[in-house]
Amino acid sequence: MRRSASILAAGLLLGVAAYICFYAAGTASHPAMSSGDVPETAWLKREFRLSDADFKRITELHAAYQPQCAEMCRRIDAKNAELEELLSKAATLTPEIELKLEEAGQLRVQCQKNMLRHFLEVSRSMPPEQGARYLAWVTEKTLLPDHKMHSQASVPESSHEHGPRQ
Amino acid sequence: MNTQPTHDPNPNSNPDDRLTRLLSDWRLETNLPPRFQEDVWKRIARAENAGAPSFLGQLWNVLDATFRRPVPAVAYVTVLVAIGLSVGMLRARETTSRLDHTLEARYLQSVDPYLQSR
Repeated sequence: MRRSASILAAGLLLGVAAYICFYAAGTASHPAMSSGDVPETAWLKREFRLSDADFKRITELHAAYQPQCAEMCRRIDAKNAELEELLSKAATLTPEIELKLEEAGQLRVQCQKNMLRHFLEVSRSMPPEQGARYLAWVTEKTLLPDHKMHSQASVPESSHEHGPRQ
Repeated sequence: MNTQPTHDPNPNSNPDDRLTRLLSDWRLETNLPPRFQEDVWKRIARAENAGAPSFLGQLWNVLDATFRRPVPAVAYVTVLVAIGLSVGMLRARETTSRLDHTLEARYLQSVDPYLQSR
């Protein structure tokens, strides 16, 4: 009787231990678990199989781009607020609104140029094949209009369910 | 219930013969209570049920008998370990996939001001 109870308990304990070990081993190497400051760039390293040297260069590029990006973000927020205020007051398309829309459009173009410049730099810092894959993925997700509508068709060879890995 | 057997006329006879005679002479002089027979059967049924093991008891008996042999015991432990490994691996894959989605979105937000300002 006691032997059977021991076997029953040992089976359950070993099963739970096996689950915990495999779960921990399967998730421990993930950038979100192992990386401290910038897990998204660590994800980039894993996703695009970057060497340490490539990753270091890309991390530097990323860090240098962040202030520009933040400044753009601030300007976009300010422009959106101005436009929102004008739209809340006007019942027709006034010259002020037209002007604000043009300014917002110019800001978008400037922002997209900055982004594309950064993306090209990053892609050049990767091995050619991974660089091309990165550029296709990141431009589709950020620059190309309505990217969600044809995202499935544009990355047909991806075996990775969520994104760019091939 | 009155039991009044007649006295044995011959005290030196065989005890079995005397018992037989006593039983044959035994007469019930009172009526049985109502539904006596039915009640007796019910009591028998209750006694039988009280003696039977429960479902868990039966299950435990089966397990106990099974684990007395080494092959089923080892197979049981092996199957549970295999289930633990498989489920752990699948859950780890799900978790890393979800984290990948999150980090991908975070990277895009970190490079696209329009995603940040939304």
